[in-house]
Amino acid sequence: MKFLQSIGCLLEAAFMHSGAYASTLLKVVRSMASPPWYPKLFLQQAEEVGVQSLPVVLLTALFTGMVLALQSYVGFHRFGAESMVATVVSLSMLRELGPVLVGLMVAGRVGASFAAELGTMRVSEQIDALWTLSTDPFRYLIMPRFFAVVLMMPLLVALADAIGMFGGYIISVSFLDQTPAVYIENSTTFLKLNDLYSGLIKAAVFGGIIGIVSCSEGFNCSGGAQGVGRATTRAVVVSAMSILVFDYILTAWMFR
Amino acid sequence: MNTPKIQVCGVRKCFNSKVVLDNVSLDVMPGESMVIIGLSGTGKSVLMKCMLGLLKPDEGQILVDGEDWCTLPEREQLERMRRIGMVFQGSAMFDSLPVWENVAFALLRQGISKKEARKRASHVLEMVGLPGTEDVMPAELSGGMTKRAGFARAICHKPEMVFYDEPLAGLDPIMSDAITQLMLRLHKEFQVTSFTIAHNMTLARRFGDRIAMLMDGKIHRILSPNELDSCQDPAVRQFVEGRADGPIHVLEG
Repeated sequence: MKFLQSIGCLLEAAFMHSGAYASTLLKVVRSMASPPWYPKLFLQQAEEVGVQSLPVVLLTALFTGMVLALQSYVGFHRFGAESMVATVVSLSMLRELGPVLVGLMVAGRVGASFAAELGTMRVSEQIDALWTLSTDPFRYLIMPRFFAVVLMMPLLVALADAIGMFGGYIISVSFLDQTPAVYIENSTTFLKLNDLYSGLIKAAVFGGIIGIVSCSEGFNCSGGAQGVGRATTRAVVVSAMSILVFDYILTAWMFR
Repeated sequence: MNTPKIQVCGVRKCFNSKVVLDNVSLDVMPGESMVIIGLSGTGKSVLMKCMLGLLKPDEGQILVDGEDWCTLPEREQLERMRRIGMVFQGSAMFDSLPVWENVAFALLRQGISKKEARKRASHVLEMVGLPGTEDVMPAELSGGMTKRAGFARAICHKPEMVFYDEPLAGLDPIMSDAITQLMLRLHKEFQVTSFTIAHNMTLARRFGDRIAMLMDGKIHRILSPNELDSCQDPAVRQFVEGRADGPIHVLEG
């Protein structure tokens, strides 16, 4: 009986949070139509999400590209297809690893920061204070963050793709005896524009997921410091899991 | 006879199955200072949140100058908030903004120029005894200073009504007296209607024109400061004297 009860509680919580995310998304869409839009706050958030995330995102991409080159070289060497390393690195980075890894990094860095900041504002009554100062807290706090992460994610992924491919180039040219010209040619010959676009579309969707989940968790947080901690953890975990699930859905849809 | 500035009419508010406010009715006259007292958890903050539009009552109306604010669309409710100033228990200053931007927040949102807003913020900061703190961040202020900055923010846009949520919570006796004097001065100078949640009986006596006691989600008694001391109601006496023994049971599980 207790087992069934705990399953029931889990399901109830899952539906409750999904409902909150859906309602946040709906409110974002509705709020887009009319001002105020707070462009200055958007730029501040864009700097926070985009520029401040660059070191962690670019380092991740660089080492992923390098590891990918080494690992795929081992496989291709077994049947003499070492020249394909460049193609595998660039395709993997553009279609899959770029958006997913950047998504996970941004979910950890930015998602946690959104949820913790908004959660703290909620429990310290700063969100109520905004209302009493005739400012819509949803528009003021959530809209700039949501659009910043949706628009910055594709830019971060484009940079991460380039740096990841550069990482593969360094390893291949320096340690795997490949010539720069051949590597660059193999990197681009088999690529289609669609490979780039699909990665960028995924990035924007992942940005949307991070924005909605993290802002919703922080904005609706309750229960003092412990509540903020729980909201932050949930924001990161749900964002990361959702990125992986939506990655499959988008991949299946775009490459069918 | 004046019409009430704020009318709370039969307000009921439940959270899940718990009834927090049960048919609460209350009038606050223009320029009056109404103080709400009562045990923690009796619904004082919920009542204030309903009055501010932060919570929607399940039943009843909250009329300001005869207009029901609860049924207004969100945008119009926000518009009406310009007439209100709120002093939060923990001050609720925005950490990311310097003191002057906190104080002038409502003015800046109304489209008043930065120069003019800063000038007005500086003036109000001087009034509350915080001159020269314009560019300081809220985290650098002491508890009493933060509280006074919260007052400055509540009155900078010249509201008609000021709400105070336990304004003396966490302050030492000297700072409590200074804040009470400040509240009296602001109430007189700005001629606002005040609504205060208080646990401090000295504040209730000095600042309240009328004192309402909330008990079990209902208005138990409404008294003047003089009546508060002469009232023989056992619950009022117990609360005013701060005794654990009496009709209000605080240690029951």
